[in-house]
Amino acid sequence: MAIRKERLSGLVVMLFGAGLLLYNLKYPLDTWGNPGPGVFPLMAGTVLVVLAAWVLGRDLLKPASKEGRESNAQCAPLRKTFRITQGERNILLMIAVFVLYILMIKWIGFFVSNFFFVIVASRLIGARTWAAPVALSAGINLFCYALFDLWLKLSFPRGVLF
Amino acid sequence: MADHGILSSLLTTFQPINFFSCFIGAVVGTLVGVLPGLGPAAAMALVIPLTLKLGPTAGLIMLAGIYYGSMYGGSTTSILVNVPGEPASVVTTLDGYAMARKGRAGAALAVAAIGSFVAGTFSVIALQFFAPLLARSALAFGPAEYFTLTVLGVILLSNLTGKSRARSLIMIMVGLLLSTVGTDPVGGMERFSFGLESAQGGISFIALTTGLFGVAEVFAVMAEGEEQIKLLPVRFRELYPNREEIKRSAAPMARGSVLGFLIGLLPGPAATMASFASYGLERRISKHREEFGKGAIEGVAGPESANNAAAGGAMIPLLSLGLPFTPATAVLLGGMLLHGITPGPFLLRDRPDVFWGVIGSFYLGNMMLLILNLPLVGIFAKIVRVAPKYLMPTVLVLCVIGAYGDNSSLFDVWVMLGAGVIGYVMRKYDYEPAPLIVGLVLGPVMERSLRQALIISKGSLSGLWESPLCIAMWIVILLAAVLPFAMQVVRKSTGTRRNA
Repeated sequence: MAIRKERLSGLVVMLFGAGLLLYNLKYPLDTWGNPGPGVFPLMAGTVLVVLAAWVLGRDLLKPASKEGRESNAQCAPLRKTFRITQGERNILLMIAVFVLYILMIKWIGFFVSNFFFVIVASRLIGARTWAAPVALSAGINLFCYALFDLWLKLSFPRGVLF
Repeated sequence: MADHGILSSLLTTFQPINFFSCFIGAVVGTLVGVLPGLGPAAAMALVIPLTLKLGPTAGLIMLAGIYYGSMYGGSTTSILVNVPGEPASVVTTLDGYAMARKGRAGAALAVAAIGSFVAGTFSVIALQFFAPLLARSALAFGPAEYFTLTVLGVILLSNLTGKSRARSLIMIMVGLLLSTVGTDPVGGMERFSFGLESAQGGISFIALTTGLFGVAEVFAVMAEGEEQIKLLPVRFRELYPNREEIKRSAAPMARGSVLGFLIGLLPGPAATMASFASYGLERRISKHREEFGKGAIEGVAGPESANNAAAGGAMIPLLSLGLPFTPATAVLLGGMLLHGITPGPFLLRDRPDVFWGVIGSFYLGNMMLLILNLPLVGIFAKIVRVAPKYLMPTVLVLCVIGAYGDNSSLFDVWVMLGAGVIGYVMRKYDYEPAPLIVGLVLGPVMERSLRQALIISKGSLSGLWESPLCIAMWIVILLAAVLPFAMQVVRKSTGTRRNA
């Protein structure tokens, strides 16, 4: 694993833990005889920060490799980490579609938004045509409607269309 | 006990109505385990009104069937599509899914079924002999012992995946912190909900696991590109485990059965902890350690046996003491009370038909599950051969339904998506999600027992290591924490001397 990548992850976890500890200040610690709601998160958060600092410190103290001494090569792992491939571009698109899908569930209902979501997701994952994703989506929705809605009586948002 | 031993219990279970109830329960349980939307507790609650018409023995056998059927069914989606159907199957994703990607899904599913059967059988036999004795030992655990036990769990499971121990511990701590979201279990104060009403009940376990495993897996498949994940064609006879795989699975099944049964006696999320503990044990002692995480059959056989044995073990505190330690056994207790049966020390004396009928149904149910599922292995294994462009959208929809169905809340779907994104990033940075689940599962028990222990000892920390049981566990904790570092130092110094 690239050293730079390790440092970055250690730093992010440490900041996350520190932020959480700061937020935890609003909860009372009370006494040892009657510990308050802030005690357990304080303990777990402190251990988290210490561990992240350990990972980060261990990496910072690690002797630089031969290639690492050359500044250009040293930056390469980080650059590689942030390089976005075509697949990852699709992931970003999928996340955007997912967000839209969740927002639409309340508005046009679960099954309608689900129908469009499956088609778009299938296309993003590699379907070349429209017919197969549409058929797949119709099949999944019918199955889910019969199983979860009719049989198991899970109530899904209906939206304005139903 | 001899009058109502193995034979009479089996005879009770083999009565047509009980046999039928057991079959229906096992089938529904398997479906519940496979579908991420409906946990065993919810499914059992839905079925309780129906069981009232069946009478106590048949009704409870059906409820128990759902309980252990879900233990088996949960592993199917873990192996096939990396989506754990229920918490105890999370650890099966590590090697089961890796096996599926190598074209060994059928073998993994078959070993899971056989392991579940072996463990179920073992737990039934152990229940018959040790139920009253073991029931009393569960009472030796007070808050201090529970807390020490959870610390022991954290330490022992911190090396679960065999990668960096520090990173695993980091993930466990994140899990512990996530478990504090929502209402404080002791004082009732709201924590880390950021004013969101939907977060007051805490983070949905299902939303988090479907996101971290299922959605993250879809993203990982998208990142890899379709051409890289094409599977090799598999012949029919290769669908089932070969002789080598059976041989390698035998000992993990036996160890998983014993370990799972013993953990099942303890309070808390027994089946989940049993599967994680078994995985940790197998990884530690296996001759094929390097294969773990890449498709080691032992990583499926051990945990799948352990979670089934734990499901059996959990029946002891339930039936003998009336203490349910999991949501599913709590619903089972509710079902018993509705049928006019009070679990406790007198259940065995007053209603041996119910006691041994339920226990006997474990054996029959596991046999049914094996007979039902082994022929289906081939069909299930074909699921992984469906092209990702069709399989992955289906997985996403099941994940959404699972996350939403848990609390009928769209907030949980957002949590799932967030967990999916974080899960994918975690994979890129070599952080495993499984230890996070350990933290999430242990968190509530750990916090509650720590605070209760401190209240009981009036703030004295020594209360956490006063009893002999606590002392013994702290010694194991110290050894488990120090030994790996000591071994590392010894290995390094030996290596330096050799090089010199």
